[in-house]
Amino acid sequence: METLAMPAINFAAIMPETILSAVAMALLLVNVFVRSEQKAYLGYLSLIGILVTFFPIVAGWNAPVELQSGFNGAVLQDNFSLFFKGIFLVSAALSILISDQYMQREGCNHGELYPLILLATAGMMLMASGTDLMVIFLGLELLSVALYVLAGFNRDKLKSNEAGLKYFLLGAFSTGFLLYGMALTFGATGTTKIAGIAAYVAANPMITGNQMFLVGMLLMGVGFSFKIAAAPFHMWTPDVYEGAPTPMTAFMSVGPKAAGFAAFLRVFMIALPAYKPEWSALLWVLAVLTMTVGNITALFQQDIKRMLAYSSIAHAGYVLVGFVAGNAVGTAGIMFYMLSYAFMNIGAFAIILLVGRKGEPNNNVADYAGFGFKHPLLGLAMSIFLFSLAGIPPAAGFIGKFYIFSGAIQAGYIWLAIIGVLNSAASVYYYLRVMVFMYMKDPVEEFDWLKVTPAHALCLLVAVAGVLIPGIVPGYLLELAQKAVFF
Amino acid sequence: MVNGYPLLTILVFLPLAGALFLIPVWKRPEWLRRLALGAGVVELALAGWLTVRWQAFQQAPGAPAGFLLWEDLPWIEGFGIRYTVGMDGISLLMVILTAFITVIALAVSWRGIRERVALHYLLILVMESGIMGVFLSLDLILFYLFWEVMLVPMFLLIGIWGHGRRIYSAVKFFLYTMFGSLLMLLAIIGVYLVHGSETGSYTFALPALVNTRIAPDLAGWLFAAFLLAFAIKVPLFPLHTWLPDAHTDAPTAGSVLLAGLLLKTGAYGIIRFGYPLFPQAAASFAPLLTVLAVVGIIYGSWVAYAQTDMKRLVAYSSVGHMGFVALGIAAWTPVSLSGSVLQMVNHGVTTGALFALVGMLDERAETREIAAFGGLWGKIPLFSAFFLLFSMASAGLPGLNNFAGEFIILAGSFRVSPLAVVLAFIGIILPLVYTVRLVQQLLFVTERQPLALADISLREGGVLAVLALAAIYLGVHPAPVLDLLKVPVGLLTGTP
Amino acid sequence: MVPLPYYLIVSGILFSIGTIGVLTRRNAIVIFMCVELMLNAVNLTFIAFSHELGKIDGQVFVFFIMTVAAAEAAVGLALMIAFYKNRESIDVEDVNLMKW
Repeated sequence: METLAMPAINFAAIMPETILSAVAMALLLVNVFVRSEQKAYLGYLSLIGILVTFFPIVAGWNAPVELQSGFNGAVLQDNFSLFFKGIFLVSAALSILISDQYMQREGCNHGELYPLILLATAGMMLMASGTDLMVIFLGLELLSVALYVLAGFNRDKLKSNEAGLKYFLLGAFSTGFLLYGMALTFGATGTTKIAGIAAYVAANPMITGNQMFLVGMLLMGVGFSFKIAAAPFHMWTPDVYEGAPTPMTAFMSVGPKAAGFAAFLRVFMIALPAYKPEWSALLWVLAVLTMTVGNITALFQQDIKRMLAYSSIAHAGYVLVGFVAGNAVGTAGIMFYMLSYAFMNIGAFAIILLVGRKGEPNNNVADYAGFGFKHPLLGLAMSIFLFSLAGIPPAAGFIGKFYIFSGAIQAGYIWLAIIGVLNSAASVYYYLRVMVFMYMKDPVEEFDWLKVTPAHALCLLVAVAGVLIPGIVPGYLLELAQKAVFF
Repeated sequence: MVNGYPLLTILVFLPLAGALFLIPVWKRPEWLRRLALGAGVVELALAGWLTVRWQAFQQAPGAPAGFLLWEDLPWIEGFGIRYTVGMDGISLLMVILTAFITVIALAVSWRGIRERVALHYLLILVMESGIMGVFLSLDLILFYLFWEVMLVPMFLLIGIWGHGRRIYSAVKFFLYTMFGSLLMLLAIIGVYLVHGSETGSYTFALPALVNTRIAPDLAGWLFAAFLLAFAIKVPLFPLHTWLPDAHTDAPTAGSVLLAGLLLKTGAYGIIRFGYPLFPQAAASFAPLLTVLAVVGIIYGSWVAYAQTDMKRLVAYSSVGHMGFVALGIAAWTPVSLSGSVLQMVNHGVTTGALFALVGMLDERAETREIAAFGGLWGKIPLFSAFFLLFSMASAGLPGLNNFAGEFIILAGSFRVSPLAVVLAFIGIILPLVYTVRLVQQLLFVTERQPLALADISLREGGVLAVLALAAIYLGVHPAPVLDLLKVPVGLLTGTP
Repeated sequence: MVPLPYYLIVSGILFSIGTIGVLTRRNAIVIFMCVELMLNAVNLTFIAFSHELGKIDGQVFVFFIMTVAAAEAAVGLALMIAFYKNRESIDVEDVNLMKW
């Protein structure tokens, strides 16, 4: 039995996580003293916390390796993780901006919302910068436990209860697989560090004959697939997305997925680069299934939240295409795509939230009849988000798709790119359907209950800018994404 | 102003700027109409000025041969995507046509559009920007961007102000085009990567990509993807099914723009991008293209004969006329290609005019059934005269514009594919049959229902008179147009 | 001394029982218990390996898993109570407002 060596701690490497957690704890305390109609102030405080967190992220960009790595190599805050942390912060900030109005309307304006969002964000960050399976697991759980609560946050509403319960049961179940995979991998390689696993694989060329290791990696893959909602492990997504409070659906559809991809990429790209053809063959099937199942099912949805849930499955499929490509272009494409997805998807949910009334009885696509003419600006914003989701230029969604498919073609996955493009053509149909109702059907409602708060307007403004600016002049962001590729 | 820098950019974005100016007055239809028409006229004047001055421009430095105007700026450097626009004789003709037809479209919707006027004019102007961009861009991604941008306004135009099954038609139109263009996007990426791995410089610039050596079977696939996207737009025979629906259900301005301009972007795409990028593959696809073109010519005319709805009739006749354009492209000789480009302009003028006429009739009688009318010659003589003129032009009467274009195409294609030309000749006769029937039923038989119809107003008369002048001019004296085409067509076909 | 494969077989069996339980049982609490069973199977695996390989990492991992499982249990049971208050049942057959 070896003794515990004192690890080299470097708090700078987990500075963003530290700040967020500290702010979250402080907010929990402050919450006690804030009256329930003033919980919005907690939101503003958490936004300040998020803004502060941007500083270490910007400062850490391109830092020397010894400053990036911490805790004896268990976390690595490289450009890759920093880019993802940026995505998490953006999605958290946008979701917080639209939370207060919704929570007041639905009568579940509890102050714990904001600390939970911050903690979930910290968990995502740990996942993105974890280079030890243990850290990835801890990040994942920090994220998941907070999200279980957030999904069931509207505790008087049965749908929200159901969403929370389903998310919890399936999330815990998938964690079991992930952990068993980690355990077997640990047993086969004797280490939980990703770099250690990679070294072991490099030193033992006969690793493909080691069934325990293979089963371990496979189970880990299954666990990650659950988290990114890849088909056939996607069944929980639509229900959870539909039932969860809308701002939390927006949050859940972006951040956790991006975090799952970050960890998934890190583990497989670093630990098993030599066996990429083998595992990417599996991912190929997963990508095709995910895109197709997501898009085909979305075609038949009436509930717009549910439709966007299936569309988010399809988008995970496009991102998987970049993962299969496995080259620098594909990986940078994933990052660019997830960032633009944060803007366009949260933007779309922000509009859905506005259109909804208490209890959300009007979430059907048909309830958007004439919306585009009753509220021209909101209609325009929604159109921009939808076109971006459909991948039509000049929106960021197009550049992202273009980037990812370029990676796939460059890596020789022509058929995958073709299937992806056909899927994307099919997806146009259900996004257009919303447009059709917004602009081509006569209005049934006056939409007079609709009230745009300043916070909400800010969220929409940022989202529109985040969709259009990288869509028209993507140069700078593309460069950042390219510099963030870790191999 | 060396080589008219930033003229092309102004040409592309002026309509868009005009569209933005509409927003502040969105509640005053009268202002909107005048403002939009003003923007269209300014654009037309700019295009006209360019045409007049065209001979005075020198070959732009750094531009590929034939491009007298040329602008090239970095855009997305990480990918080698540039903002490259250039104008040669073909682009110039298409730009003039675009500016002209847009003004017509703005003018014909003067009375017909009463609701959501602002959005209607705004969309037309945005679409004009998109179409200008398509005809001018020489960077494949820029081209793709404009290609998609012009799609959205048309979708909304059909869906919001259309008639009948407008939503079905709008969605069908969008999905068809989207399907083709996404596969083209993959092919664009393919060419880019092949060129990049061959030369080490990753670029989407057309002049550079033209010289790429691509393995024949790969080139075949890539060309097929381009051709699919363009053939849907043209439309070539089995891919035309969106067109009758879209045309029929679109508002008048939409039909005019669709027939006058959007169809041309497909043919233009084949000429500008398809053939030059993959000459060998294109040559091997030429027989297929020829067959489809001939089938389209005969089929379009045949089905047009059976139509009872006037708009549908004109729509199917478009399939036939665009078949001629495709035939000329497939032959790829200097003469046939000039004929094709000329015919694109001709078709834009005549079909645009016919749709405008049908739209006027529809506005008055609220029906487009041929059987509902009769004896118009006695009741609204001016309208009838214009109708007769454009019908005859469409049928290819010598001395009018379509005859010139079709004749040149057939003459140019004869040596390449004589059989196809002989068959296509039938396609010259068939339109005569259905047009004569249409004219007879509409203008000369005795009146079937008592309809109170007013003759055309001054505004409508002006629009039609301009179109008629264009049709007669192009029919009698197409030489200036052909002169414009001589250099670029010679360069394209390799026979300067 | 019990050889390693024995531990692995036991933990494998436990994990399978847990998985099958999650998939077949209908009571949310029983499902949750099955998930806990899976986690404990993982713990057993980790400890067995840790002992066999002489590396302490596995045991540290187990502590983390136990801590997290406790947190998960707290949240999960709270969610179940909330659900029960509204539905008066914790049978997953009744978690059916939205189609599965």
